[in-house]
Amino acid sequence: MVWIALFFLIPLYVVFCVAFGTVDPIFRSPVPIWNPLEWQFTQVEVVWDRLFGPDNFYLPAVLRTLLYVAIAVVACLIIAFPVAYFTARYAGNYRGLVLALLVAPFFISYMMRMLAWINLLQPDGLVNTIITLGGVVPLDINWLSGNPYVVVMGLIYGYVPYMLLPLFAALDRISPSLIEAARDLGASGFDLFRRVILPMSLPGIVAGTLLISLPMMGDYFTSDLLSKSPNTAMIGNLINLSIVAPGQAGQAGTLLILVLLVLLIPMVLYTRSNARAEVRS
Amino acid sequence: MPSPPRRPVSRRRLLQASALALPGAWALAACAREQPLSGPTGGGSSAGGSASGGATSAPAELQIASPTNPVKWPINPGNEPIASGLEPEANATLRLYNYPDYLDKAVIKDFQKEYADYNVKVEYSTFNDYPEALTKIRSGSIPYDVTFMSYNYMARLVYGDLIRPLNHEYIPNIADVWEEFQNPWYDQEWQYTVPYVIYTTGIGWRADLIPEDIGARPNPYDVFWDSKYAGEIAVLDDDREVIGMTILRDGGTDVNTADPATLGAARDAMLEMLSLSQPRVTISGYTDIPEGVLSLSQCWSGDMITGQSYMPEGVDPSVLRYWSPPDGRGLVNSDFLCVLKGGENPVLAHHFLNYMLDSDVSLKNFSWVGYQPPLRSLTPDSMVADGYIPENLAGAVVKPEWFEVGYPVLELPPEVEAEYQAIWQQFKAGA
Repeated sequence: MVWIALFFLIPLYVVFCVAFGTVDPIFRSPVPIWNPLEWQFTQVEVVWDRLFGPDNFYLPAVLRTLLYVAIAVVACLIIAFPVAYFTARYAGNYRGLVLALLVAPFFISYMMRMLAWINLLQPDGLVNTIITLGGVVPLDINWLSGNPYVVVMGLIYGYVPYMLLPLFAALDRISPSLIEAARDLGASGFDLFRRVILPMSLPGIVAGTLLISLPMMGDYFTSDLLSKSPNTAMIGNLINLSIVAPGQAGQAGTLLILVLLVLLIPMVLYTRSNARAEVRS
Repeated sequence: MPSPPRRPVSRRRLLQASALALPGAWALAACAREQPLSGPTGGGSSAGGSASGGATSAPAELQIASPTNPVKWPINPGNEPIASGLEPEANATLRLYNYPDYLDKAVIKDFQKEYADYNVKVEYSTFNDYPEALTKIRSGSIPYDVTFMSYNYMARLVYGDLIRPLNHEYIPNIADVWEEFQNPWYDQEWQYTVPYVIYTTGIGWRADLIPEDIGARPNPYDVFWDSKYAGEIAVLDDDREVIGMTILRDGGTDVNTADPATLGAARDAMLEMLSLSQPRVTISGYTDIPEGVLSLSQCWSGDMITGQSYMPEGVDPSVLRYWSPPDGRGLVNSDFLCVLKGGENPVLAHHFLNYMLDSDVSLKNFSWVGYQPPLRSLTPDSMVADGYIPENLAGAVVKPEWFEVGYPVLELPPEVEAEYQAIWQQFKAGA
């Protein structure tokens, strides 16, 4: 409880006080209003206008973020599902080891891994060397030129282990005898997947999807490092830009609250369904 | 697994937690100090630090210096210069606060050696941009002694009572500084600052990747709107530089304008740029262009000079090019050094300023950072001949007379600055 208060509620309250606060007239630094009765909502109006008003230049970035996250989540699922399935089913006693090895690269910080990608994707980097077969094929691809595919790739690479772990946990729980029973009753491979494995791994899919889409929604340094182009800016970049720009911390706070509110819905639904499932069991 | 249903408990917990959070919030409120701004003489400048101003409230009076309006800043009571003839603080840690890669580390080491008798240590901290620097300096959490700033923050530094007036007796090396910088418009009688480096904003590129002579175009700035170079180019991650460049490109000359029509046109042009050439937004052109990540970028004159040391193996540095208007009618600016009021070693800080103005030290620093100091001992006309700057980057030399015709990026009144920020935000949100 103290933990929640210290690390969640108080910081959140400060964000509210900044978002509904004012700005120092000279330094344009945020002046939080601590008394909720005096809160002002000018910044909310500004952000609302930029989202839905006539000058809605935030909207493309929001839609872009949703698109990137959706693609990255699906891709993570496609990559992580077979890996988790085969690890759970066939790795036997080495499951722990295989899983640890799969996740090992991700003990390195996210930032470092993105910096490594910058190196790999440079014009004379390893990726281009391989694609052009060491310079034989005359292909000149500049991956780092603000390419949306590269940003999505960065997101996928960065978050795939967080999809892998909950999926593995769910798939590991499926009893092999259930699968055998399905087989015995004549289920084809596809039927087995559709009617047994998929429904039983659903909690893992939902947990993994939530686990990676929430931080992706606020991610800004993938685009910052791998693209640096405004044309791939995400909500996280808007928030980051508002924080560093003088006088706009309130807008950053408002954006943050909006993102939080939107993300709260799936979170609440998920915890409720989980609680229900636990009651049932 | 049997576990009790959680929902009712968690709701109660949440309420309890909120109850706990409240005293915390009041504690925070109590801690929140209103930082009163001690304005200069006269009443107009009391910033009315009240929290009721609103985001777009009328700002307090902020005097803004410009070449046509030179300003002699007031010295606030209690902030008089240090006395003459003091010894530098012994066993001190001199804290410098600057951009990364904007001061030669070897120069810092030399300074420590020079003041070894006093057992001096130098600590170099960095910021990403001036707003961040200003916020941290104001918070007073770290007692920085010296910072490197631009004059578009001068008024706020003075009104916020953040900098210390200089005692000129400690800084005899000012004699080597160009005349106009001994009494600059942004700080008449150099009460608070000494100049650091001067620079233009222009275009840098690699001639082997962009065979075209950009400078030969009727309007070289147009290159940023040329879809031919889509994905290969960048503009600086600095609102004033990009908006300023756009205004110049469209034939304007007032890069500090508050005129809504001009600003609106600049915004439209910038959005058009986004869709035509998809520029990246970065200040790392000094490494990205040499490495070929970018072929061309808006950059500062020092960037290409320092970029020579980032060339990949096998690429001749002579492929680097820099263009800024050869008549000086472009963005021409300078940065300065100043002593912060919150610092613990004001005497040593004065010595450091003087040290940085020494011609040998300054030259050594110049050869590393690539930014030119405005010193008499370094004549712009002979910089190429003397080998400080290679022939291919001759355009990066900054000439004294350009400060008369060039366009400085000035401090803006807060409400105008907000307009610039809004344009920048729209630009950076992407099209």
